[in-house]
Amino acid sequence: MALVKTPKPTLAQKLKRFFFIDLIKGMGLTLKYNLGAITDKDAVAGKGIYTEQYPKVRPDVAPRFHGAPRLNMDPETHDTLCIACNLCAIACPEDCIDVIAMDVEIVVAGKPRRKKVLDEFIFDTSRCMFCALCQEACPTSCLELTQDFELATYSRAGFVWNREMLEQGRETVKYTS
Amino acid sequence: MLLLAPVDVLNELLLKFFSAETVNYFVWPLIQIGLVVTLVALWVAYATYLERKISAFIQARLGPMRVGPWGLLQPIADGLKLLTKEDFIPEKADRWIFFFAPYIAVASAFIVFSVIPFGPDWAVIADVNIGLLLVLAVSSVGVLALILAGWSSNSKYALLGGLRSSAQMVSYEVAMGLSLIGALMFGRTLSLSGMVAAQGSDSIWYVLYQPAGFLMFLISGIAENNRAPFDLPEAESELVAGFHTEYSGMRWSLFFMAEYAAMVVVTAVATTVYLGGWYFPFVHRLEESGYHNLYVLVSVLVFLIKASIILYVYFWLRWTLPRFRYDQLMDIGWKWLIPSALINIVLSAFAVFLVQALNGWRGIQTIEALDRGLNLTATGKGVTIAFGIAGLFITGALLARINWRSRDFNLKTQRRNIRLVNVPKGKPARA
Repeated sequence: MALVKTPKPTLAQKLKRFFFIDLIKGMGLTLKYNLGAITDKDAVAGKGIYTEQYPKVRPDVAPRFHGAPRLNMDPETHDTLCIACNLCAIACPEDCIDVIAMDVEIVVAGKPRRKKVLDEFIFDTSRCMFCALCQEACPTSCLELTQDFELATYSRAGFVWNREMLEQGRETVKYTS
Repeated sequence: MLLLAPVDVLNELLLKFFSAETVNYFVWPLIQIGLVVTLVALWVAYATYLERKISAFIQARLGPMRVGPWGLLQPIADGLKLLTKEDFIPEKADRWIFFFAPYIAVASAFIVFSVIPFGPDWAVIADVNIGLLLVLAVSSVGVLALILAGWSSNSKYALLGGLRSSAQMVSYEVAMGLSLIGALMFGRTLSLSGMVAAQGSDSIWYVLYQPAGFLMFLISGIAENNRAPFDLPEAESELVAGFHTEYSGMRWSLFFMAEYAAMVVVTAVATTVYLGGWYFPFVHRLEESGYHNLYVLVSVLVFLIKASIILYVYFWLRWTLPRFRYDQLMDIGWKWLIPSALINIVLSAFAVFLVQALNGWRGIQTIEALDRGLNLTATGKGVTIAFGIAGLFITGALLARINWRSRDFNLKTQRRNIRLVNVPKGKPARA
């Protein structure tokens, strides 16, 4: 008497074993992937090859992704759009924005006036959590979190972006191959 | 004509410096050896590239893409990297054996190429009349390298890997040799060029006469090369890297090269014996119209393409199947492959006997000369092919009969059933 009670295989199971149906199924699956990869026209279509050629080809980030900050400028006059209202610094939960303003004398309609203009803008990306509340607070759409994500630097000080960096963007090495 | 010229010119040039015997038996063979070694080394290098590419495609990746267009220079970059790496020898290792083991592996893999017919005429280095025997004998020496490497490393992982590989290769060697005998009965020769000629004169591939033999040869070849799903000697999850755990740099890459060269050897032998070698329909018309060298080159190309298709099956299997358990491996070797190879021998002997007994029936003609193939007519071929396909089923049925007591491969089912047997009545068991 057998110690192990083995259920008897049905005829279908026996035939499946005899003709290696499972093996052929598995081989068919891998062959399908292989052919799909070879005949894939669009490399990142999600059908054939999933690999992104990152430094060569920029990846598509999600539409709601927030990355490096930027101070927008008036496209015609190239003056900053920032009115130094300090709302972004107040909105920032991490307290990583410093808006430094100065007063300048201007003449409006023949009368001398004092106007607050932006002198320096300090944005500490090492403390930023990219919540984009500053972007929401900005009344002139000046401060914006772009979709650029290459923020690494060699020193801690490099994370602190000044006005020039925010306006011009930081220089990064662009790989082509 | 253009392709014919340079060889003759070179021959005449050589005859000015050496005697005819020296040229025929020394200089030309050297040139052939150089060509074959270069070809095989390139083939081996690009087999690694193809393996990486195909594995990547099967896993929906891209594989090497950076070195050269589509990463085509990757094997060269890898070779340079390995050459410049430190060649480390462990302090407690048996230095000389450790030193020489990789060379044995590479040599045993490369010597086999001396008898492989890459094409007709000058594309074969030596047409030995015991070619197939030599292939089996020399490729078995490769086991020695693995054992020596595993032993001399003085490391438990390497030793276990060496032991495993020796057990595996020795047991699959038997099945490999036995599975070839069926094809030899139809080819009536041990010479590899003779096998190709026999298939050419019959204008048939022996895979049709011997489907079971072909499958068995492929399976035991994969096991012989320690490839997945039989790659227990280098199972990463258990043995780090098996017998070459302690090797590094160029010496490690020699083992790698030997593995791929051995793979190419098995594919080349399978092509020669079962897929008609360099023979392909209509190629001989080039010979008839006078382009002899072009004919040889096209034949070599045909051979390489056929072998590459089998090589692809190797890669395909590796990236499809998981590794076997060790008892399953030994089961397949001793309880399935060797009996099936023996059954195959009996069946093919019976097929040859039947075809000869039917001599004269519907014009079937059989063996005319000992050094030729069976020389069958279409009816005879049909009978033999039917026999081959029926042989698959007969072998399967007989094996199922022989191994009916074998344990199920599925251990989980077994454990569940054991628990079910011991459970008291009235209590439903939960696995």
